[in-house]
Amino acid sequence: MSNMHILSKNLGYRNYFQRIPGVAMMLLVGMIFFGILSKDFLSVSNLTNIGLQSSILLLISLPMTLVIMTEGIDMSIGALLTLCGVVMAYTLSVTHSLPIAICLAMCCGLLIGLINGSIIVYWKVPPFVVTLGTLGICQSLALVVTDGQSITDVGEIVQLAYNGKVGGVAIPLIFSVIAYFVTYFLLYQTRFGIYVCAIGGNRESLNLAGVRTNFYHLAVYAFSGLMAGVASILLTARMSAGHPTAAIGMEFDAIAAVVVGGTSFEKGNGWLLGTLLGVLTVGVLRNGLNLLGVPSSVQVASIGLLVLVALLIDSMKMKS
Amino acid sequence: MKPILELKNISKNFPGIKALDQVSFSIIPGEVHMLLGENGAGKSTLMKILCGAYQADAGELYYQGEQIEIHSPSDAKKFGIAVIFQEFSLVPYLNIAQNIFLGREFSGWIPGTIDHSKMHAEARRLLDSLSVEYDTYTLVHTLGVAQQQMVEIAKALSQNAKILVMDEPTAALSDRETTLLFEMIHKLKAQGVAIVYISHRMAEVFSMGDRISVLRDGQYVGSADPQKTTPDELVQMMVGRTVDMVYQKNFISKPGAIALRVENLCSSNGIRDIHLEVRCGEIVGLAGLVGSGRTEVARAIFGADPVTSGRVEVFGNNRVGEPFHSVELGLSLIPENRKSEGLALIRTVEENIVLAGLKKLFPSNWIRLSRSEQVANDLITRLRIATPSGKRPALVLSGGNQQKIVIGKWLSTESKIFIFDEPTRGIDVGSKSEIFSLIYKLVQDGAAVLLISSELSEIVRVCDRVYVMREGTISGELSGDLINEANVLKLGMADV
Repeated sequence: MSNMHILSKNLGYRNYFQRIPGVAMMLLVGMIFFGILSKDFLSVSNLTNIGLQSSILLLISLPMTLVIMTEGIDMSIGALLTLCGVVMAYTLSVTHSLPIAICLAMCCGLLIGLINGSIIVYWKVPPFVVTLGTLGICQSLALVVTDGQSITDVGEIVQLAYNGKVGGVAIPLIFSVIAYFVTYFLLYQTRFGIYVCAIGGNRESLNLAGVRTNFYHLAVYAFSGLMAGVASILLTARMSAGHPTAAIGMEFDAIAAVVVGGTSFEKGNGWLLGTLLGVLTVGVLRNGLNLLGVPSSVQVASIGLLVLVALLIDSMKMKS
Repeated sequence: MKPILELKNISKNFPGIKALDQVSFSIIPGEVHMLLGENGAGKSTLMKILCGAYQADAGELYYQGEQIEIHSPSDAKKFGIAVIFQEFSLVPYLNIAQNIFLGREFSGWIPGTIDHSKMHAEARRLLDSLSVEYDTYTLVHTLGVAQQQMVEIAKALSQNAKILVMDEPTAALSDRETTLLFEMIHKLKAQGVAIVYISHRMAEVFSMGDRISVLRDGQYVGSADPQKTTPDELVQMMVGRTVDMVYQKNFISKPGAIALRVENLCSSNGIRDIHLEVRCGEIVGLAGLVGSGRTEVARAIFGADPVTSGRVEVFGNNRVGEPFHSVELGLSLIPENRKSEGLALIRTVEENIVLAGLKKLFPSNWIRLSRSEQVANDLITRLRIATPSGKRPALVLSGGNQQKIVIGKWLSTESKIFIFDEPTRGIDVGSKSEIFSLIYKLVQDGAAVLLISSELSEIVRVCDRVYVMREGTISGELSGDLINEANVLKLGMADV
């Protein structure tokens, strides 16, 4: 019976192609490609820049991985991120207190996340439909709060969250590292993580094992909302304003990063490191295309193409 | 030895069906108790009562002499009852240790965290006790069926199972894997675990069983000692004697020209070398156990599953490609799963019933609603579908009436060959007899019918000829006086 073990080892030695995940290949190819075409691309300042730019996307792609592992999806995350940013900017403009603003932004994210989760779990409405609904609501609320204008009266201090450094490391990178390890810990070291995998993999058996499945399922969406709140701090800091269309369509990038990273929509098959690589791949692509002067309208198409290529590589690997 | 678990007069009713009728049954530690019965005899209902998924309507359970009640899966676990269904309860992308201890993880020092090393050590210990060598870090989806079965067994043992119920555990196993499973069962017996083993394979019933009990139509027929009984006796016990007026047939079939001829058919879903023919004006049965490949044959003939080799001839024309072409040739399939494959449940009765015939009715692609309503209402009257109006959604009707809609669908295409896959499953007796009179009418009008059924009494009373399937291929053909339940059962069960 241990021959299966030997078999997998043999395969590995025989075929390196099989062992390298598609997303790592693409990240590498992307780096080389843009490195050749643009001499600025591989400079330290630009690479740091990619890290900075990717931080917001990473913060919402991490919980998206968990959501997709439960065979769900969170379409509302881009709009929710926008709404949280607007709430934060508005609070800043009124109170000029950063802690209160951060607190309210995170509460806003958590609240919408709980609403998403409750409707999905207790009323058994498909996640796509529920989060599409909250997408519309969040988007509209953001416009109502701002009256369609940017809120620029946010003070100077908030910019530090994006431009500041602690011990020589940019704050968004610190956010990213902490968020990654917290999510990693939740997914691989806690009960919650095992149950996330089991909700997507075999919900019935989890119920039969006497686990409060609904509670954990709801927690996944709450986590997603909360992380949108955290990401909104960076978003507001980066623009030093609250803009009602700031993160429109960001759910597209997040879902793309997760899927490119090898997480599947079925059976609770997810990979957190893959999501990190996926986020970086999307970041490299966006940054590289910017350097080459490609208009942002075309960039969306290139991310779509990226998803297709990633899935193609994986299905080729399955065959070979 | 004293029984660890005793069931007394257990009954369970479902609407219209007595699934279990006063069944008594006992299990002794260290014995393998074989449970036999035809499809629908009540074996799986009994299992579900044991594992707490269903509750008995009447009767008592005794655990080591004391009366107990099982209300939920966790109650069943408390008494050390573990059930391994044919469909596994494993999570594909968790590793072996995580699966074994799902819902009962060992906590680390921070609340909510997991003590991985302890969990893997414990899993290792369990697997070692079963002499299984897999790495506990292996993801379950990479394991074969037999290996997954071992993990299920380890999971059951980790809950200190004293009573292990297995539903056809060898159904998906190769010979080598089966040997391994049997070794495991011997080990468990030696440890004093009581095993209830459901099987359709005579060879293992005799080689593994310490005691054999037979169920039929929800009733306990009797027990037998494998040393003293014979396969024929067991078959006799399983078949029993029940006369059924449901299938009353008051005409003699007059088989005409060959309508459907299947040669050497193999398909990607595991059936091989299927030869059969069906003539106009006759009802041909396709019998066999659940999982023997009957549905797969139907789907391959109809073109719903890709055919890898062989040919299907419909009135002398070679059928190639998709169901689309089959329908053109006059072939129709009334699928096993009427809710998911036969009906658009939220659409109306009218819309469903004309769905397959739209192309014949309106060759120009323009649909005249008045005409389609008229056709639908004709069919509703003709089939005596009990619905207040043709405008009601199909999902509100009873199973029998839904089945009639599915049949009606094909009547409007003027099909000449009908493949019925379990047409009477989950249908009350009244509708059953109506559906059969409908089938008889079709045959008398010259249609050819291929009938798949798990109910032997149905096959025996209705069919003019019967093909019996076993493990993906046809194991025999019966006609005339040779069609009886014992013969069908014998051909359907391996190793008799």
